[in-house]
Amino acid sequence: MNIHTYEKVWLIAALVLIVGFIATVTYGSVGLGIAMIDDSEETVEPGELGEDERFADPRVEQVGENEYEAYVVAQTFMFSPDPIEVPAGSEVTFYVTSRDVIHSFSVAGTNINTMVIPGEVATMTVEFDEPGEYGVVCNEYCGSGHHNMEGQLHVVEEDEFDMTELSVEADDEVETGDEATIDVAVENRMLEELETTVTLEIDGETFGEDVTVAGGETETTTFTVDTADLGEGDHDWTVTVDDYEDSGTLTVVDELEEEDDDDE
Amino acid sequence: MMTMSNAYIDDFPAEAKVIRAAFYSSFFALALGGVFGVIQTLHRTGYYRFIDSADYYTVLTAHGVFLVISFTIFFLVGIFTWAVTTSLDRGVEDLRFTWGWYGLMAIGITLSGVAILAGFTDATDISASVLFTFYAPLQGHPMFYLGLVLFVVGTWLAGVDWFRSWWAWKGENPDERIPLPTFMVLTTMLMWYIATLGVAAAILLFLLPWSLGWIETVNPLLTRTLFWFFGHPVVYFWLMPAYMMWYVLLPKVSGGKLFSDPLARVVFVLFLILSVPTGIHHQYLDPGIAEGFKFIAMTNTMFLLLPSLLTAFTVVASMEHGARQRGGTGYFGWLKALPWRDPVFTGMALAGLMFAAAGFSGMVNAGMNINYLVHNTFWVVGHFHLTVGTAVALTFMAVTYWFLPQVTGKALWSRSVALGQVVLWFVGMTFMSNAMHRAGLLGVPRRTAEPQYDGFEFEAAVGSIGELQAQIALGGILLTLSLVLFFANVIGTGLNGRSDDLPANEYAGTLSGPEDAPLVLDNLKLWTAIAIVLVIFAYTFPLLSIVDRGGLFGPELNPFPVSIESVTLLAFAVEHLAVGALESLSLPGLLEVIR
Ligand code: HEM
Ligand SMILES: [Cu+2]
Ligand SMILES: [Cu+2]
Repeated sequence: MNIHTYEKVWLIAALVLIVGFIATVTYGSVGLGIAMIDDSEETVEPGELGEDERFADPRVEQVGENEYEAYVVAQTFMFSPDPIEVPAGSEVTFYVTSRDVIHSFSVAGTNINTMVIPGEVATMTVEFDEPGEYGVVCNEYCGSGHHNMEGQLHVVEEDEFDMTELSVEADDEVETGDEATIDVAVENRMLEELETTVTLEIDGETFGEDVTVAGGETETTTFTVDTADLGEGDHDWTVTVDDYEDSGTLTVVDELEEEDDDDE
Repeated sequence: MMTMSNAYIDDFPAEAKVIRAAFYSSFFALALGGVFGVIQTLHRTGYYRFIDSADYYTVLTAHGVFLVISFTIFFLVGIFTWAVTTSLDRGVEDLRFTWGWYGLMAIGITLSGVAILAGFTDATDISASVLFTFYAPLQGHPMFYLGLVLFVVGTWLAGVDWFRSWWAWKGENPDERIPLPTFMVLTTMLMWYIATLGVAAAILLFLLPWSLGWIETVNPLLTRTLFWFFGHPVVYFWLMPAYMMWYVLLPKVSGGKLFSDPLARVVFVLFLILSVPTGIHHQYLDPGIAEGFKFIAMTNTMFLLLPSLLTAFTVVASMEHGARQRGGTGYFGWLKALPWRDPVFTGMALAGLMFAAAGFSGMVNAGMNINYLVHNTFWVVGHFHLTVGTAVALTFMAVTYWFLPQVTGKALWSRSVALGQVVLWFVGMTFMSNAMHRAGLLGVPRRTAEPQYDGFEFEAAVGSIGELQAQIALGGILLTLSLVLFFANVIGTGLNGRSDDLPANEYAGTLSGPEDAPLVLDNLKLWTAIAIVLVIFAYTFPLLSIVDRGGLFGPELNPFPVSIESVTLLAFAVEHLAVGALESLSLPGLLEVIR
């Protein structure tokens, strides 16, 4: 074959360029230990995510001192949990799956981006050094409401981050003279123990109790309120633990109406 | 009537009629696609929204299917028929067969098109707003899939037609080299036969029976992988005819000859071998496919740059030769001697220039790691409007100005309108594509009716989102105007009377001819065998592994009717309003994704 000299030079240059590209990408993806989305996770049944220990309750979980795992479910047309909250200075592994069609989980403007295919679990580990707020979009067409599918990823200051959950059970209505109880359960989903104060404010009066909740545990504090002091009528109350708040109204009546009060 | 002219229609009047039919089908699709294109451009950018956002996806499906399936493929079967008949200097073997495959393609695309467009009305249950990638479990009407099958079978038969011509010719010319244009057609079709096996399997084994309710479920990753088995090489099915034009027509309109026939053959052989085993590069971000398979696809993809780089050389060298024949001198001075007033030349030259730009964004896409930043963002849309939307589409429009007189026997209506048209396309695409690329880097997704979100905003480091939207809308409008000029010329030419003063039906000669090409290059069996081996190597294990993981028919999943109750939509709207507006974000871009 008769190849012109310039053509030969060009051919060699082209081959060098191509091999160069392959080498760079290989180094960039294998050499630096950057993971690609792959087939490392077992498949799941998209119709039975409700029974799946990771995806039944989409959430962020702490698994090591600065290590977290986020179990995310994409479905038409939302992500859960939303927002996803993680601390700065942490390493987070995302596990993402779909309940219905193909979606994507794409943190806008970053390289956190994966397809979400029903039956498959996409996983990637990301280091978050700085606090920030990101938008999460679905960038694969998933149906007529696709453009409404969005979520948020909040990377919060390390010392502002907690995984505390507050739930309050309180009487709604009591007879004058009886005691009203307000049970405050504080769950600490972090690994380290949590020291905090539970405060109850009712009718301008404040009660406080210090609690220590071990990692992964729940502590319940019970406040007992003497309704004779409160008097008949509606009394608003607020329970506060750190940044969390719950509130309600306690009604003190003269005499309880006869009805089967279901106290669970 | 005596005629002095030596145009294609004078030698092959019956074939010219088939080619005209193919061209007009192609242009009809281009017109529809263009209308949908401008609608979605104005909708997305928020400048003018007169359709419901839920209907946006029907528009987008129509835009995608009509442009990249009907416009491109009808056009290329036209020029392939021209290439085979002209270069073998013989008519088709059986005209009824030729009309047969054209008819099958036309029926097929009509069925699919009707299924898509029916999505606009509630009068029927028929719809197929599944985009041109039709990923399951999104489900279209059976008519949509059936139409695609008929269309593809039509192209297969077209290939048979051209092979028959070649076999017949070879019988009479046993010792001659395959003429270059025919060689290009045959290698392209061999590539196409291999490539379409993927989509044929996806539709016939899974999607069509599933849409008919014969099977309950499909494996979404499997059908998606089979789609991309076809979805990447289809790109070369559009591109190879455009390359053919750059090899056999561009040197001629530049006033010279093709630099090297052997190199042109090498390029087409490389395309045949490497086009298919690369499709997984569209799935770098898919869970369920091992990293190693993605890596093989990436390596093949990078080598697939080679034929394009070689083409760049040959095209420029041939243009320079032409320019020097026309009296051009100097290191770069020869550029001035090129026929810039000729729309055929200028259109192809601008298309080639844009393709070079597309090469850069393509390399970013191909890089397995950087792809994460741009995958499915607007960047990708910017990229393929340079490739198929310009390198291919603009080349096709430019060569139309040469082909129309050849197949109609009528002089072109207006050369200056034609020149304005190709330049306008270039300018419009520069605005639209550049802004799309930039928006993609900010994370703006593709395929989205309203890329405006409640909870956050995209932030541009340079310029603003508003400025990008404006450029995209401006570009889209210029492109639409360019299309209007194009159709004015097509219609104007059709209204002209027969001319007997047309250029002769000729293509470029070569400086270094086929006698310089080793005989083995014409051994189509060998190259096909190698291509098949590479495909087996690249795809057997990924496909087996996907079936092993998810099963042949996948998990229990409901087909997703693409229309959804407005009640549900309302609920979502309310929910999203409730989330409320949050302050804007600053995006640091690349984060450290590690193992
Ligand atoms: C008037 C000229 C055109 C305009 C204004 C235009 C505009 C657009 C826009 C704005 C999108 C993005 C929609 C989205 O992702 O939300 C798009 C998608 C697309 N365009 Fe064009 N386009 C034009 C011509 C073309 C041509 C000539 C081709 C190919 C031959 C083409 C092929 C495509 C394809 C394949 C898509 C992707 C469809 C999908 O994502 O399913 N376009 N176009
Ligand atoms: Cu979506
Ligand atoms: Cu591709």
